Amino acid sequence: MSKEKTKSTVQTTGHAWDGDLQEFNNPLPRWWLWGFYATVVFTIVYWVIFPAWPVGKGYTTGVMNNITYTTTDGKEVTTHWNTRALLLKELGEARAEQAKYIDQLKTASYAEIAKDEEKSAFAYSMAKVLFADNCAACHQAGGNGVIGSYPNLLDDAWLWGGSYQQLENTIREGHNGFMPAFKTSLSEAQIDDVAEYVLSLSGEKVNADKAARGEKIFQGQAGGCHYCHGKDAKGQTSLGSANLTDSIWTIADVPGHNTLEGKKAAIKAVIRNGVSRTMPAWKERLSPTEIKILTFYVHELGGGK
Amino acid sequence: MAQSTATAEQYNYDIVRKFTIMALVWGVLGMTTGLYIGSELAWPFLNFDIPQITFGRLRPVHTTLVIFGFGGSALFATSYYVVQRTCQARLFSDGLANFTFWGWQVSVGLAAISYTMGYTQAREYAEMVWPIDLLIAVTWVAYLVIYVMTLRKRSQPHIYVANWFFIAFILATALLHIFNNFAVPVSLFSLSSYSYHAGVQDAMTQWWYGHNAVGFFLTAAFLGMMYYFVPKQAGRPVYSYRLSIIHFWALIFLYMWVGAHHLHWTALPDWTSTLAATFSILLLMPSWGGMINGIMTLSGAWDKLRTDPIIRFMVVSLSFYGMSTFEGPLMALKSVNALSHYTDWTIGHVHSGALGWVAMISFGSMYHLVPRLWNTKMYSEKLIYLHFWLATIGIVLYISAMWVSGIGQGLMLRAYDDFGNLAYTFIETVSFMHQPLVIRALGGLFFVSGMIIMAFNSFMTIRQSRREKAELDAKLAEKLAQA
Repeated sequence: MSKEKTKSTVQTTGHAWDGDLQEFNNPLPRWWLWGFYATVVFTIVYWVIFPAWPVGKGYTTGVMNNITYTTTDGKEVTTHWNTRALLLKELGEARAEQAKYIDQLKTASYAEIAKDEEKSAFAYSMAKVLFADNCAACHQAGGNGVIGSYPNLLDDAWLWGGSYQQLENTIREGHNGFMPAFKTSLSEAQIDDVAEYVLSLSGEKVNADKAARGEKIFQGQAGGCHYCHGKDAKGQTSLGSANLTDSIWTIADVPGHNTLEGKKAAIKAVIRNGVSRTMPAWKERLSPTEIKILTFYVHELGGGK
Repeated sequence: MAQSTATAEQYNYDIVRKFTIMALVWGVLGMTTGLYIGSELAWPFLNFDIPQITFGRLRPVHTTLVIFGFGGSALFATSYYVVQRTCQARLFSDGLANFTFWGWQVSVGLAAISYTMGYTQAREYAEMVWPIDLLIAVTWVAYLVIYVMTLRKRSQPHIYVANWFFIAFILATALLHIFNNFAVPVSLFSLSSYSYHAGVQDAMTQWWYGHNAVGFFLTAAFLGMMYYFVPKQAGRPVYSYRLSIIHFWALIFLYMWVGAHHLHWTALPDWTSTLAATFSILLLMPSWGGMINGIMTLSGAWDKLRTDPIIRFMVVSLSFYGMSTFEGPLMALKSVNALSHYTDWTIGHVHSGALGWVAMISFGSMYHLVPRLWNTKMYSEKLIYLHFWLATIGIVLYISAMWVSGIGQGLMLRAYDDFGNLAYTFIETVSFMHQPLVIRALGGLFFVSGMIIMAFNSFMTIRQSRREKAELDAKLAEKLAQA
């Protein structure tokens, strides 16, 4: 230890531990002390303004810091500062900001929204968050869906219809998509034939004999596919049955395969096991205007009809 | 050095050595786990769909290994060393001291294994299931007994300031651990239990524990470490005895009130929230008292910054202590908390305390300790410098990345567009965080590398000590043979 460095005008306390451990007895730094007093003043002011100390069964509520907010049924409430009132106030302010547009959209028709630049801009702005928070989990952030599980909303193929009314109905009420499994009623060979036929409908090059046999099953009693998909195999939006002639695949991952065998295997899996999918109803969770805005947005995403 | 051979029997150094080695082991394991989970957040595929290594299970492994494994072992080591040297008394009961060693190591090890298997009581920083809690409680009481009994044996009339902090830490931790872990096991043979407290009281108890774990375990105790190793290393008296008394009592009194600032804007009553916020503000200056006392103690020895890497660790640790105890009260204010809470800002704040203050002061103290415990010089001073730079750069990267990520996300979540609609979706805030999270992982990589270098350096020092001792013994034997 260098002696000259420990020299100081300040005295040590006179104690020494472990050989050379000593303590100076410097006074408290001025700025430190005043800094502490400043925090005390801050604290007392804070206690005066905000709810602070429990007294009996209540607490000091704070003065000069009231919050006034409007409840959803239009009543004005003034109360001492508290987090709940502050939340209601801020929600109210945000709602008021949106209100003038929401009110317009509530009564406007879809055509009016589409025509009016401001209305459609608002609808887009609000739908973006609505879609991301409610729809994107299944249909994905961009609306492109997941083949085999969740429909793509960007193309112009619609299982349940792509008009404003049909889309709105789909969102509001939800849907149960169902196709029975054919693995017990059809033989493996029959399923193979039907798959060849289905592929031929979208212009794939297939074995003509097999496809012809498949057509018989499809259009006849054995398969009965036409009951839902229709004689023309174009599907029916009232049942949510798929159009099998448009080369757009929502469940069987046909585009994901390059070989005929691969494509066929994808279709056969659907025929064998059937389909059971649910889109939940949103009427309990979203307001009619929110559903309207989402309908408009989904319609504009791609192939609205 | 001659002095420490003479004192080898006077003091129980064996227990200090054991805890020092385990601090290094847990440090490497805990920080590596931290690096991994940080990387999982940046690149989620790293979860690999293996339940045992998903973020949710590894996160408590990380916090437990670094806080209780690394920090705890470093505290046991330094407190046992400091209490003996400042009391000039051998540690009370070697057997009980060994019990605290094994009790603590087994608790930390079992805790880590049980988390990966999915056993947790879901209380932050107290995830251990009830049987481990009991083992910790017994171990801790033994620690308290050893400490008090050693203090009673002291041959110095006055108790040195470092010991006040250590004893406050041990007492408060016992209190916190026991009351926070009140639980009713589902059955005698079940690891699951119900918390004794319910609802908002339970949350309040959890954060009374959680923040005082920060206050007493990660602050008061490491101040105890600072109060011994900083003046020792600088060769200077502590700056102000008066300041140490005032800030000690202020800290001890004020910390107990502030836990509820973790629960702003929840079901907690507003008055409780206010008290927590204001007591946090009151804590600022008492916390700075410790920083001032440390920095001013070093202030006569600034020239050593050039020649002594250990002093560098200490200066940086005190600076980060000052910075995070300024940031903390700020974040405890309700309005700031509305922005910062549930974002990475909190994570950044914790790490500026944990890496900047706790780990850096531990590194400095352990570099002081290791050569004295093994009676040799550090294997490589260059590696200490390297460790210093890796750690410092790592912290800076970590904290600034978390500021960007946390404040950025906080602002995005509350942003509205011109129509009064939310401007961003939640997922957009998540993808915004990707880049900062990558930089955070990089900062972690720096810090972990430094830790590994320290472990290597210490390991080589211990080997070197064994070799030197063997050589000395051989020479002595030769001399004896000649005589």
